[in-house]
Amino acid sequence: MYSDLLSALPNVFAFANFAAVIIGVIAGIVVGAMPGLSDTMAISVLVPFTFGLEPLVALGLMAGIYNGAMYGGAIPAVLLRIPGTPAAVATTFDGYPMAQKGEGGFALQVAVVSSAIGGIASAFALMLLAPPLSKVTLLFGPSEVFWVAVFGLASIIFLLGGNPIKGLISACFGVFVSVVGSDPIYGNDRFTFGALELLDGINIVILLVGLYALPPVIDLLETPLKTDGVTGSKLGTQSMWKAMPRMKGFWKTWLRGSFIGIWIGILPGAGGSMAAFMSYNEARRGSKTPDTWGNGEPEGVAAAETANNADTASALIPALTLGIPGTAVAAVMLGGLLVHGLQPGPMLFRENPDVVFGFMWQFLFGAILLIFLGGSLATNSFARLLNLPRPLLGSVIIVLMLIGVYSIHGRMFDVYMMLGFGAIGWIMDKLKFPLPPVVLGLILGSFAEENLRLALRIGRGDWGVLFQNTTSLILVALTVAVVIGPILKRRLFDAKAKA
Amino acid sequence: MSDTPKPRLMRPETLTAIGIVVVAGALLIPTAELRPISALLPAAMLIGLIVLSVALLAMDQRRAAKGEAPAPMTKSPKRVIGAFLLIVAYALAADFIGFYISTAITIPLVAWAFGYRAPLGLLAATVIVVGTIWLIFDFGMSQDFPAGRLWKD
Repeated sequence: MYSDLLSALPNVFAFANFAAVIIGVIAGIVVGAMPGLSDTMAISVLVPFTFGLEPLVALGLMAGIYNGAMYGGAIPAVLLRIPGTPAAVATTFDGYPMAQKGEGGFALQVAVVSSAIGGIASAFALMLLAPPLSKVTLLFGPSEVFWVAVFGLASIIFLLGGNPIKGLISACFGVFVSVVGSDPIYGNDRFTFGALELLDGINIVILLVGLYALPPVIDLLETPLKTDGVTGSKLGTQSMWKAMPRMKGFWKTWLRGSFIGIWIGILPGAGGSMAAFMSYNEARRGSKTPDTWGNGEPEGVAAAETANNADTASALIPALTLGIPGTAVAAVMLGGLLVHGLQPGPMLFRENPDVVFGFMWQFLFGAILLIFLGGSLATNSFARLLNLPRPLLGSVIIVLMLIGVYSIHGRMFDVYMMLGFGAIGWIMDKLKFPLPPVVLGLILGSFAEENLRLALRIGRGDWGVLFQNTTSLILVALTVAVVIGPILKRRLFDAKAKA
Repeated sequence: MSDTPKPRLMRPETLTAIGIVVVAGALLIPTAELRPISALLPAAMLIGLIVLSVALLAMDQRRAAKGEAPAPMTKSPKRVIGAFLLIVAYALAADFIGFYISTAITIPLVAWAFGYRAPLGLLAATVIVVGTIWLIFDFGMSQDFPAGRLWKD
């Protein structure tokens, strides 16, 4: 399996594939640096444009954007105390005080180096863990695959935190959307209401753009952000070679942050912001001078940025092998894979080793490129991006959304449907309904239904077939644990609080 | 003082829950016409949505009974409605009068309406964006855009 990894390496250096990673990293930094825009939104808008591209070009762009955006979020976090992405909240704690002391440039250099280290560690974790895990999943039959889908949905609903009822509603909605169209076995129409455009089902890209791109655009137009004109001259940037020796004591923080980020990335439902907070807290706890934290401690920036980048590629470990994404971005990336006919799961590794292993290499190179593209000179330029007028940016994104969705089938019906999902997405966002279960519901819904029906056919209609082997029972137990675990934990916490 | 509390049924979460129950209930009607095995998953999801929404409604009403105010959906509803209407209008305009004309109007219009009012900047942005779209998608990728239903007939 690891020989496939090595044989995929030359493909990554093909001009178009490598250029895609470079463009992706730059675009990701730009998107991450703009408060209100996110990596999820950028990838959602990008996916429809990649239809005509080779899979590795498309995936390279996505990998680059994901890596770049995680670092890009640190730019406004340091300069304006406004996290560019949710994962950059912990970066504000020490990054902004550093900027106030005239060390904004150094804070961004710490952020870029730490982000690159976290990203590299995460890419290695993906390369090492995904291939053996995919081999295990090759042993799965229809009933096990059905339970994997149920487990995936349950874990993202219940581990995402917040209100499980809202998570369940999101998932039910996503699964319902997945059944629209022709029945996979009998071919009869389900909920098409005579619309020929719905016969093939609802394309995931329409849902992704609607849910993830439209609400941020409306937010962007709702509250135009005013910046105080950040310029490169305010940053106090020095060359990277001078900055590096000041980071020589950070290796423990980088190591710890990488482990935390990788672990959180693998866990479905967690995400970059949780990783950054945990890493920050752990690093502070282990520091000899915890009092300096929060007042401009560069190691605080390193802890947060290492962890939020270390959860990028690792979030794809369950996504690529089991079809269960660890984060919202990973869910959107799964959609991107499906667009190119790449069904996540064990067969992906068997049938498309060049693409899947090439994608892993692209994550690694994307992380390395961060140092060069997000270095001191680029940091000055990216900081100026914060001065771009938001309404103009919003109007351009609206145009890109229309082009992207229209280009899927060349029809306006899809655009109207996207607007409908956008309105639903905006309401869900405001009422704090989690969005990842919708996407996962759409991805796993048809997958679960197909395998459930296949299992029932094998068992001649006997539902007991779903509980007949050890793997299925383990998956059922895991699902129950995921559902009951947070409830028990909350009860325990409440009981302790009362005591 | 304008502190009169809003009717309890007008709370955003309650309204959403009622909306879900109504839509899911209505969708159960066509589900009944499907073969049992085809209807299994959609029916389970729709019934799930109804049950969960009722639970959501009950929780929200319990909060209302305690006097908890709902979190505001938006700081400026007019801007949100305006933004959404402009986006819908853009889609309709692209469909009926054509993509390029509507795009050339929408970019400066949205930016102007939401606070960016530098004429030169607006002009430059419109020319750059429309020009780049034409160059990449139309010229480079032979992508067809809506020509406008009005001109077709």
